[in-house]
Amino acid sequence: MANKDTAQTPLTPAVLHILLALSTGERHGYGIMKQVEADSQGKVKMGPGTLYGSMRRMMEAGLIRESDSRVDPEMGDERRIYYELTGAGRTALEAELKRYRSVVAVAEGRLAHGH
Amino acid sequence: MVTNVAGRRYRTWYAMLLRLYPRTFRERFGEGMAQTFHDLCREHEDDRRGLFGFALWIFCETLAGIVRENIMRMDQLGKTMLRVALGALALLMVPLVASRVVEGWNWSAGSFVFVYVLFFATGMTYALIARRMGAWSYKVGVGVALFAGFALGWSTMVQTADSGHPERLWYLSALAVGVVGALLARLKARGLALTLFAMAATLALIVVMLPSGAPPDMARRMAIGHGVFVALFTASGLLFRHASLARLE
Repeated sequence: MANKDTAQTPLTPAVLHILLALSTGERHGYGIMKQVEADSQGKVKMGPGTLYGSMRRMMEAGLIRESDSRVDPEMGDERRIYYELTGAGRTALEAELKRYRSVVAVAEGRLAHGH
Repeated sequence: MVTNVAGRRYRTWYAMLLRLYPRTFRERFGEGMAQTFHDLCREHEDDRRGLFGFALWIFCETLAGIVRENIMRMDQLGKTMLRVALGALALLMVPLVASRVVEGWNWSAGSFVFVYVLFFATGMTYALIARRMGAWSYKVGVGVALFAGFALGWSTMVQTADSGHPERLWYLSALAVGVVGALLARLKARGLALTLFAMAATLALIVVMLPSGAPPDMARRMAIGHGVFVALFTASGLLFRHASLARLE
């Protein structure tokens, strides 16, 4: 169940990027970092402190959850903890993107009219 | 090769740094964070990029996260302190009301402050120790041990003051055994179980060895009272033993 505040207020950039990174499937910590970097064309580099601190709050808000602990065949034989979006997380992401779209529409309308 | 050695060293230091996170956070994410750092180091090593600048950035960034998480934990600690302070105030009402009702109960303001500090310190000790472990037997064991220790200390001080027999302070040596034992055991369940059994044995030995100097009737009541303390310390020891065995399982 998503925290009411989380669903209604704008998300922090870190939370938005993590939700976005997990929107295409489950990932482990390093995988999320790399996806965030790729999604932002290298502009956002998230360290472990920010990543896991944000994930702790997101798990408490019910936006993401641990899905599994297993070996990533592309990355050696260590087991990694995977995370995935919850239904509430997907809803929060969609709500945030909708909010962004409305802001962009207002901004483009103003710029088009020159004021 | 040099980078590999440096990478191993940084990974060791990073694992040490993660210990500064609050325990609950560390238990949940520590392994994942260490693994992620390991992956990042490997990526840098594979690209033959220097590790120093990268490690410095990650260490600073993680340190900021540690400060954030600990501040949040301090907020929880603040809530705990408030609850304990209010609980101690509620308990203080007992002697406060009693001093108004019972004839001859004339405590000074300083005595009430002293008693409040004792209640608060005991409550905070319970709150801080009990939250170290989730096992119910550990929490109840801490509660029983603190209650019995507090009551023994209290009754010993009152009896010593009333009777004028300073040798009765020997009973406090059972509490000294408890404090030293708890420190040596580092609050681990198995060590605490042994400590509480040692406290019970110490108290029983003192009761047997020390002449009470009281009339037979009073001496019998004191023996029963101390028997109750011995039973409480033993029960607390058994609870810690249960917690220790449950943890092993």
